[in-house]
Amino acid sequence: MDCPVCKKGMVVLELNKVEIDHCVHCRGIWLDSGELQLLLGHKKDETIEAFASAGRVKEKPRKCPMCLKKMDKVLCGHPVAVMIDKCRKNHGLWFDKDELGKIIEEEGAGKSGEISVLLKDIFRESRE
Amino acid sequence: MWELIAANKRKSLIIFIAMGICLLTLGYCVGMAWLGPDAGFFGVLIAFGVWVVLSLISYFAGDSILLYTSNAQAVTHDIHPQLFNIVEEMKIAASLPVMPRIYIIDDPSPNAFATGRDPQHSSIAVTSGLLSGLNRDELQGVVAHEMSHILNRDISYLTFAGVMLGSIAMISQIFLRGSRFGGCSSRRYRSGGSGCGQAQLIIFIIAIVFAILAPILARIFYFALSRKREYLADASGARLTRYPSGLASALEKIGFSNIKLSSTNNITAPMYIVNPLQADGYSGIFSTHPPIQDRIKILRGMAGGASYLDYSKAFSAVKGGSGGIIPSAALSDSASVPIRDAGVEKEAPKDPKDKTRETIDLLRAVNNYAFLTCACGLKIKFPKNFAQNEFICPRCGRKHEVPSSNNVLAAAVASAIPAKPVTATAYGVSPQVYARKNVGWESFNCSGCGALLQLSPAFIGTSLACHSCGKEIKIR
Repeated sequence: MDCPVCKKGMVVLELNKVEIDHCVHCRGIWLDSGELQLLLGHKKDETIEAFASAGRVKEKPRKCPMCLKKMDKVLCGHPVAVMIDKCRKNHGLWFDKDELGKIIEEEGAGKSGEISVLLKDIFRESRE
Repeated sequence: MWELIAANKRKSLIIFIAMGICLLTLGYCVGMAWLGPDAGFFGVLIAFGVWVVLSLISYFAGDSILLYTSNAQAVTHDIHPQLFNIVEEMKIAASLPVMPRIYIIDDPSPNAFATGRDPQHSSIAVTSGLLSGLNRDELQGVVAHEMSHILNRDISYLTFAGVMLGSIAMISQIFLRGSRFGGCSSRRYRSGGSGCGQAQLIIFIIAIVFAILAPILARIFYFALSRKREYLADASGARLTRYPSGLASALEKIGFSNIKLSSTNNITAPMYIVNPLQADGYSGIFSTHPPIQDRIKILRGMAGGASYLDYSKAFSAVKGGSGGIIPSAALSDSASVPIRDAGVEKEAPKDPKDKTRETIDLLRAVNNYAFLTCACGLKIKFPKNFAQNEFICPRCGRKHEVPSSNNVLAAAVASAIPAKPVTATAYGVSPQVYARKNVGWESFNCSGCGALLQLSPAFIGTSLACHSCGKEIKIR
């Protein structure tokens, strides 16, 4: 799968039987819908629907790496809202580098902490 | 088995001829309507020509077109030994002359189909969802069902009938759309009395009515036989595996899965073991497949044996009537086929997470991903188009060399140093030893030629030969 920002091949990282796609150039990550299902189980739909739309924003829209359609900007995160991209056809979620950093620091991708726990573990050494 | 094919062919031929008459009559009507009352046979000729051309294309390239549009990828024995093993087993049971080619479709929805012009040139395609969701007995049932389609020559029939259906639909579409502008009205400006005569008008109306009816009729014929063939393939599948429950529970899983197949359309849908576009439980004259509940009930109702006679008895019990699904020649085959016991799974049933991981990794291997496991436990999978030679593990900070044959070649070109010729004596000096890190997929480069080598989780040997230079590599 190619990075929606740099259009280069993304490396796949697997930890605890869950995969994420990671771009080594822009350091963004893609969380696939199937992987979210594995990670969150029955809470998946509930968690994703809880993300509020960010409305009109300046940030350039990104294209879903699977369907190549424009993604929506949504707000996730419990204490602090972090703006991420979500595919309209629910193919998955995209986190830019700084968004990823915020999610890890604030420990709150949605009400369930599973996403941030996983990301924190994978990017243990690469955090500045 | 031969009587079965012969009986099958006879019945198919009747429906096939009926469809052919539909096609030629349509050609005749259209020819008369467009080119005048004398040109009916010219229309027949054109309709026949269209069918012949389309048939030739689908005969020689149909399977590759179908597999291509379904995004199917060929797999070898190394990639999925179990699937290969099952297909081989069923190939022997069905005494098929040539091993069918095996394809995997990257789709989480469980389904399968077979294609190919004859038993010598056949392919079986299964989705990744089928591999991750079914156990061995169920998978065997599905493969046996598909094998029966190959064996009973259903594929070639379906291809030719499908092409005929397509030709009829095409001609009638061209005619109906063309008539909007052509037909009587265009003749208004012509001289002479041949404009819109009464007779011409009647012919025109008949042609329009037939152009609307012909595709519907042809479709009914096509689907009627398709349904019958599904029952027959279920029966032969049960007989080949001697375990009807395997196929029954596979059908249950496929039919009641709530994931929809994404890479399908109206043309390919009827080819699958369970029609992905057909609503649950609905079955009328426009269905390609019989209702799945009935298929499961019949298979589950086969008590005492797995022969055609047992299937026929179960069929009458479920559907009523005398059960004209199995040709009588096959029923007189009195040899009893006992039902075998359920296969014992060697390993304990796997966590669904593990099975999903396994199937996705398999598809990655097919797509030439390179696998690497970091000492910290993070599994890293590099795509073919990954541009860097080095990768730093984000979890523990270790530096890894990306295993890829492309990188080695690129490096050799960049430094303008010709690659060292590899000689047989060089192997003897320092045999390459690769230590396995885990039980998943692993990749490394051959030290002789730099080719990318992949170890599957099913690899149990102690050494392997490089597929590119033949060098022996020890695996620990």
